[in-house]
Amino acid sequence: MKKQLLKITIVLIASIQMVACTKSETITTPVVTVSTKVVKDLIADTVLGIAANGMPYSAGKYTFYSIENNEIVPNTDSASAKWDLAFMSTRILTNGGSSGPALGGGFIFTGLFDDLKTISADSIFKTDNAPTYAITAGSGKGWYTYDQLTSLITPLAGRVLVIRTASGKYAKLEITSYYKGGVTLPVSASDAEKLTKQRYYNFRYTYQANGSKTF
Amino acid sequence: MFELCGSMFKKFLILSFIFPQCLWGQVYFVKDTLSATGDSVVVTATRSERKLSNLTVPVTLINAQTIQQTGSIRLTDILKEQTGLTMTSGFGAGVQLQGLNPDYTIILINGEPLVGRTAGVLDLNRIALGNIKKIEIVKGPSSSLYGSEAMAGVINIITDASNKTPLEASLRMGTYNTKDINLNNGIHSKSIFYQGFYNYYSTDGYSIRPNSNNRITTPINRLATSQQFKLNLTDHANILLNTRLTDETIKSNIAVSNGGVTINSNGKEHNTDANISATLNYRFIPTFKTSFRSYLTNYISKQELLTISGAPYNDLLNHLFKRLENQTDWALSKKLNGIFGMGAVWEGVKSSRYDSEKLRKENTIQYGFTQWEWTPSSKLIMIGGARFDKNATYASVWSPKLSMLYKMNSFHKIRLSIGQGFKAPDFRQLYLNFTNAAAGNYSVFGSAEAQIVISQLNNLGQIGGLYNNYFLLKALQPESSTGMHLSWEWTPNGKTFFSAQLFRNDITNLIEVQQVGTYISGAQIFSYLNIGRAFTQGLELEFKQNINNHIVFSGGYQYLETGDKDQIAQIQAGTVYTRNTNNVSARLTMSDYVGLPNVSKHKAQFKINYNNEKGVFANLRILYRSKWAVNNTNGNQVYDNGDDFAQSYYTLHTAFGKEFQHGIALQLGCDNINNYIDALHLPNVAGRTYFINLKYQIKQKPQK
Repeated sequence: MKKQLLKITIVLIASIQMVACTKSETITTPVVTVSTKVVKDLIADTVLGIAANGMPYSAGKYTFYSIENNEIVPNTDSASAKWDLAFMSTRILTNGGSSGPALGGGFIFTGLFDDLKTISADSIFKTDNAPTYAITAGSGKGWYTYDQLTSLITPLAGRVLVIRTASGKYAKLEITSYYKGGVTLPVSASDAEKLTKQRYYNFRYTYQANGSKTF
Repeated sequence: MFELCGSMFKKFLILSFIFPQCLWGQVYFVKDTLSATGDSVVVTATRSERKLSNLTVPVTLINAQTIQQTGSIRLTDILKEQTGLTMTSGFGAGVQLQGLNPDYTIILINGEPLVGRTAGVLDLNRIALGNIKKIEIVKGPSSSLYGSEAMAGVINIITDASNKTPLEASLRMGTYNTKDINLNNGIHSKSIFYQGFYNYYSTDGYSIRPNSNNRITTPINRLATSQQFKLNLTDHANILLNTRLTDETIKSNIAVSNGGVTINSNGKEHNTDANISATLNYRFIPTFKTSFRSYLTNYISKQELLTISGAPYNDLLNHLFKRLENQTDWALSKKLNGIFGMGAVWEGVKSSRYDSEKLRKENTIQYGFTQWEWTPSSKLIMIGGARFDKNATYASVWSPKLSMLYKMNSFHKIRLSIGQGFKAPDFRQLYLNFTNAAAGNYSVFGSAEAQIVISQLNNLGQIGGLYNNYFLLKALQPESSTGMHLSWEWTPNGKTFFSAQLFRNDITNLIEVQQVGTYISGAQIFSYLNIGRAFTQGLELEFKQNINNHIVFSGGYQYLETGDKDQIAQIQAGTVYTRNTNNVSARLTMSDYVGLPNVSKHKAQFKINYNNEKGVFANLRILYRSKWAVNNTNGNQVYDNGDDFAQSYYTLHTAFGKEFQHGIALQLGCDNINNYIDALHLPNVAGRTYFINLKYQIKQKPQK
């Protein structure tokens, strides 16, 4: 009995030491340089009112955004390489192909944001070619669903927008809400509220400035 | 209490076969129904008259007294108070039985099916209760001898021509200017029985949503009548003739929301439901009898609406159903009884939602069934049976069943049944041709015509893209369910009744709406495919306790688990995602999965009943339902804890009254005393309502 106890103690000590070893090893690995940024309530062509024909109307303008600088780019720079993404209601453009002069592109990855540590080598980046886009548009096909009954737009869970920026670097982005304040409205919200509080993008993203595909 | 039951359920399943007393002892809800202890006669379970105590499957029996004393006037009123039954709203009031949608329960009146379903739902408000003798509810696979739609169960409403007073009239007034007038008259002689029933019902409806013009329940005028004749031709033969007509006009105000814009339409809906049946019963010898039944029913629903801008919106549904059936009962010996039956159905539907409302879509069905009841000893009864349905538009189906009753002693009974039921693809799933101009111009095409219609559209250059589902379209198979029920009934003395029942239903070939393509405009195109697999399982407990000669306590509880098997496989594979409280995506785990929508895990009711010799009665009823998922708001196609739920609730009901001399009776009642309102999820639950009911009955002299 005593011998057995001794054995167990030895095994225990050994395993504790092993844990200690692995811990010290992780400290020696290089420190990750990327950080995750959160963007709140980015306006994307919000509804201005209801037209005489009963349909909502808006200005019909994109909001241009620089992933590299984490800021809105003025519309006058739409033909430049200063922006990486452009938002208008549910449509998202990348700066390339039919949308812009730069190297932008992207695709939608199915999985978790945190699980996407490296963009796999065989991933195919698409470029915008209106009316199809690198970030696929349409309910249930790309990054969101639209419910006909509740008139609510919900970002699909487990979808990560993998972006190639205007300068050819990489970012991953998760949209968390399409509504003002980052809170998807309850089903019971009024029609007016559902119209006026939509088209506010809330997302988080990680940008890799060193040009590699690893975050 | 409920949470405890929930976590213990899996253990229940494993331990159930040995029935540990300690576990049952923890749960105190049980058998409602002022029914189950008396030895009444039931026909639905075996298609022949059997004593309740000799049935091999559990049957819920609701008698006329219960219906009257609870103040129930429509079928929905009384069904919602039964264990394991949940009322649904949307397309009228339907009944969900053991977690299965209203599509899967067949509604019979005197054994003949009602037709006229909208989106699978038969509006139970159509059925007046003023002339009902009893309602029999059979749950699960033992209902398989009834053919399509009887997958979850059978609700058989039984009227009786031979047991009524010469004249009975009642007037009921209630909140929202609700009026219900009943007249029953009867003529009885040795050879002729006649029973007439007339009902008028109207209500102003109500609006429980504040600041809204929309009425949750719209104003209704409804007339219903039924006539029953029974002629005793000889000692061996009789003829039954039944007719029934319901005619209702509903003022409609429909709001359609599209892209956040709501369009109101006003108008009316007019529904007519007519049935006629004739039956000849002939008894050759006491042990050999046969009956021929013929039945015709027609349901016509017309909706005529105008939008605010003056555009008409009309909708028509015309369902015609004819049936001929013969059933022969043969008692070979005291221990062996057999039933043979065969029949043919002709069915046709015209609808403005099909390609042309002038063309009737048709189907014919031939079927045969047999059932054998074997009583090897006074303790054991075994029943085996099967039905075969052959038809023109979908695959043929076998529906076998096997059940047994074992009477351990005079206190304990065990029942076990296994069987298969099915639901045929309905006309909507086969022939729908509907484009919703009011909401995004999406289209739904029935599977029988989808490929033809879509390829025609393709030739016209209107199709933007076809999905893989389009190429999978083929002749629909019937949906099929295999069910198992195991129950234990305990009657320790004349005052106590207790029963516990475990059930499981496995459903395959579920027919689901799937997107098959898109128009050039991007609008979606849908059709129907056999893709789903699901299950429902649970536990039902019922009890009844006579406290003394006047007071009875009763109650029931149901624990229910449901699930979509394909979704569960995806969750287990880790490919389903949800959002956590920060709106960040996470993998969905099984602990957050809630199963099928509109299904509550817990449902219970409790009832106190008082009756005395002087004709005074009173009752207090509590109905409880736990939360249920209503909307998939986090966009993962799976119902989980991150979705939109309707809150759990309870309602309190009371009714009391007295029967005076000379056949006069007065009743007062209040429903939803606690004024529970959830306009969004429970449009059929009005706030607190009151009623007063006055009845006059000419007492019949007791027959000798």
